[in-house]
Amino acid sequence: MAYIRKRNRRIFLIFLLPAILVLFLTTIYPMIYAGYLSFRSYDLAKLFVPRVFVGWANYREILSSSEFLHSLVVTFKLMAMTLSVQLVLGVGIALLVVQKLPGMPLARTLLMIPMMISPVIVGLVWLFLYFPELGYLNYFLSLAGIDAIPWISSTNWALWAIAIADIWQWTPFVMMGTAAALQSLSPEPYEAAMIDGNSRWDVFTRVTLPQLKPVLVSLMFLRAIDAFKIYDIIFVLTKGGPGDSTEVLSMFIYRQSFTFWRMGVGAAASFVSLVIIVVLITLFFKSLNRDQTA
Amino acid sequence: MSAITLHNVVKKYGAVQVVHGVDLDIAEGEFVVLLGPSGCGKTTTLRMVAGLEDVSGGTLSIGGQVVNDVAPKDRGVAMVFQNYALYPHMSVRQNMEFALRPMKLGKAEMDRRIAQTAGILGLDALLERRPAQLSGGQRQRVAMGRAMVRTPKVFLFDEPLSNLDAKLRTQVRWEIGKLHQRLGTTVLYVTHDQVEAMTLADKIVIMRDGHVEQVGTPEEVYAAPKSTFVATFIGSPSMNMIETRATGGRLVADGLSIPVPTRFGDRVKDGQEVTLGIRPIEIQRVAENAPGAMAARVEVTEYLGNEALLDLRVGSHDLMAEVPADQRAAPGETVHVRLNETALHLFDTRSGRSLAQ
Ligand SMILES: Nc1ncnc2c1ncn2[C@@H]1O[C@H](COP(=O)(O)OP(=O)(O)OP(=O)(O)O)[C@@H](O)[C@H]1O
Ligand SMILES: [Mg+2]
Repeated sequence: MAYIRKRNRRIFLIFLLPAILVLFLTTIYPMIYAGYLSFRSYDLAKLFVPRVFVGWANYREILSSSEFLHSLVVTFKLMAMTLSVQLVLGVGIALLVVQKLPGMPLARTLLMIPMMISPVIVGLVWLFLYFPELGYLNYFLSLAGIDAIPWISSTNWALWAIAIADIWQWTPFVMMGTAAALQSLSPEPYEAAMIDGNSRWDVFTRVTLPQLKPVLVSLMFLRAIDAFKIYDIIFVLTKGGPGDSTEVLSMFIYRQSFTFWRMGVGAAASFVSLVIIVVLITLFFKSLNRDQTA
Repeated sequence: MSAITLHNVVKKYGAVQVVHGVDLDIAEGEFVVLLGPSGCGKTTTLRMVAGLEDVSGGTLSIGGQVVNDVAPKDRGVAMVFQNYALYPHMSVRQNMEFALRPMKLGKAEMDRRIAQTAGILGLDALLERRPAQLSGGQRQRVAMGRAMVRTPKVFLFDEPLSNLDAKLRTQVRWEIGKLHQRLGTTVLYVTHDQVEAMTLADKIVIMRDGHVEQVGTPEEVYAAPKSTFVATFIGSPSMNMIETRATGGRLVADGLSIPVPTRFGDRVKDGQEVTLGIRPIEIQRVAENAPGAMAARVEVTEYLGNEALLDLRVGSHDLMAEVPADQRAAPGETVHVRLNETALHLFDTRSGRSLAQ
């Protein structure tokens, strides 16, 4: 910023001020306030009791609570389920839509629709589909002679029900990124492989995939951050139930804060999840750098 | 036996025809160059031979077998692409290994071949590098190496030198020529650079707008061009062309009147429009009173060291003459020149075809 002369610096700040203000009010202040709360005992039910400083007590409580650890496990389980399927399906569909076949550009546009729908609506749509007696899904299964599946009312199925809705919504994202990357690959090496007689499988695994890797890693990384924060779909479909079978981290935080009104504990849990995300990001960029120097 | 035969080969993209019935016969071990201006269908023809493009009509044979419907991998050809088409994430060695992979040779034989090829092309020290870590010339050699390790029956090259600078181009051109002498493999080579064609080819195929204009050895296409197109395309600086009319056994144009050389016999009719072609090197400076001397005004002089190029104005025609450097003249001077009668080329102006036999 050395090129901005002193005289102009004030004007420069004035122009930036609104953006800084908004950022401060909506992001930085709440974060600082949450940090402040995480060291206090703050019960919404006892509004007039002073918020006493409790040190690391909230953090200690969370990290030793089996419910919190359970919610972490559920979060990562759901992440593994959705990301793996989204990766395979997204790449598969991308390989299909980049073919020069009639209808592919249209298919590509249509496939992007789920991504544009608000997650709450997605949750509602799938709620109708999963509905035990009236839902379409079980209706179609019955046509195929398959017994009704208790999608969201069984601890065995609920997490899958959520995973399916998330996969439906976010596979297009992976597909889109992958398709763009595929189209940026130069065609000549593929022609060389065709003349040399390399099998399709060899070409895919040894030419395409290695070149896609950086993009796939980035896409998975973005998906992982989102999956870590998944909230809306679960809130609409199961609210963390049945039992605690779909209680992911964000549901845990929500419950602590707004069901039990323990804002301090909720704030501390938010901070722990923030730390986990930051660690994830750091590891990601480390591995990217290693890739580039290799 | 011929290595490659094209018989009336046609290529259409939808309703647009871009290659119009190409006939070509390439002998085993021959170095054949497809030469022509941009967009004339050289690449398309080459890609049909490779199998990367379908043949829309006619027959294409390789090694005596019709291959119109044979997959690229089963044609026994290897191709070197204009932009090299190396696998960017693989080392030089891996690039070659991947090309060998379908042959299922076994590790020892694969290593032997790679070592041998690397030796021939001077790639030994570069085997573990990736394409991004190589210079343009080195990449070019890797691309050739990847084609060579497979010991194909036919090499296909598409403008392999066009991404190199002038000096490197000369060097790699020389290396390709040497390589062909050493390996003796059939080569089909595409370029729009006539110097590449003249220096490398056993046989040049000159293409224009999807047609074959002339096929011949470099000497033939230079000395006996069959059309004004070939005449001006081959040779540098290019051949002078003067439009004349045959009148009473002479070719007459503004400021110029030359007897029709007897070797053209009665093929030049009285009144016919004839284009007279003469290479710059065949225009000599002579004394004013020498037989056949014409007065010419020097417009521009280009000094090239050994020789000089003179831009001359004869009547209303511009002629380029290439003379020994000590015979150059200053712009504005009037000099006298004579066209070497034995080196005259005559073409029918309407059809552009040569009037020589
Ligand atoms: N896929 C295609 N669809 C339609 N027309 C095409 C296609 N590919 C090439 N052409 C046309 O075919 C003609 C010949 O193209 P080609 O690439 O063979 O030319 P070229 O002789 O190799 O030229 P250059 O020296 O510029 O590489 C061109 O007019 C080009 O526009
Ligand atoms: Mg071309």
